[in-house]
Amino acid sequence: MPHPIRALALALALAATPACAAFEAPRLENPVAAARSVDQRAYALLHAHGAIVEEARDVVADPEAPLALKRALGQAERAATPAAETLQIAVVAYVRARSDFDAAAHADQSAIARAGAALTAATRHLGEALTAAERPVGELEALVQAARR
Amino acid sequence: MQQIIVQVQMLLVALSGLLPLVREEHRGRAGEILAFAGAVLKASGALAANASDLARKLTDVRAEVESMAESGRPVTAEEMEGAIARVRAASAAFRAALEIAEGAAP
Repeated sequence: MPHPIRALALALALAATPACAAFEAPRLENPVAAARSVDQRAYALLHAHGAIVEEARDVVADPEAPLALKRALGQAERAATPAAETLQIAVVAYVRARSDFDAAAHADQSAIARAGAALTAATRHLGEALTAAERPVGELEALVQAARR
Repeated sequence: MQQIIVQVQMLLVALSGLLPLVREEHRGRAGEILAFAGAVLKASGALAANASDLARKLTDVRAEVESMAESGRPVTAEEMEGAIARVRAASAAFRAALEIAEGAAP
């Protein structure tokens, strides 16, 4: 046998193949898919983004992780977090508009109409902010998932 | 995953015990290969631990949102503020860790 080490490495790789094939990475849940209203979607996306960034921090703090991966995570986070911040602003405006609408329930018709229009606009704005945030947050999540494979 | 990694690490330790049987001229190289495999396993073990942690966190958030959706309950201002605070804290910690990693880079 001219290359015993290579033969041993090949044997180990072959022996490990069935175990690797049987291994399944933990399935990641999508909290946004469980939401039924726009505020629940925003809440789910913000918490999911927070959890993903927490995991990204652990990867970046790992001295064994390659620097190129850390830099890629940094780039993805710099794209995702501003989108999440825009979502936060839209969420705050939506919660305020909803509260104003609830408070106007016993007011006159014009006050109800004004509060209703404001809530409609805040809901539309929140929906747009959600759509804009989903892609960069999804890209960061994909990168964190790739980092741990 | 962690169990598989521990088993492979034990296998590597056992193989290291066989190093004296390797011919003198190949022994150093074989030792380097085993040390490299050990380092890779250590890194993948840390990443796998992160994986299960992320899966657990996302499962927790989904369970909470499912409960809200089933009861038709709107998200309160306090709950939204909690989610926003989590993002802010996570982002600040991430950027601080990245700065340290960049500073430690050769």
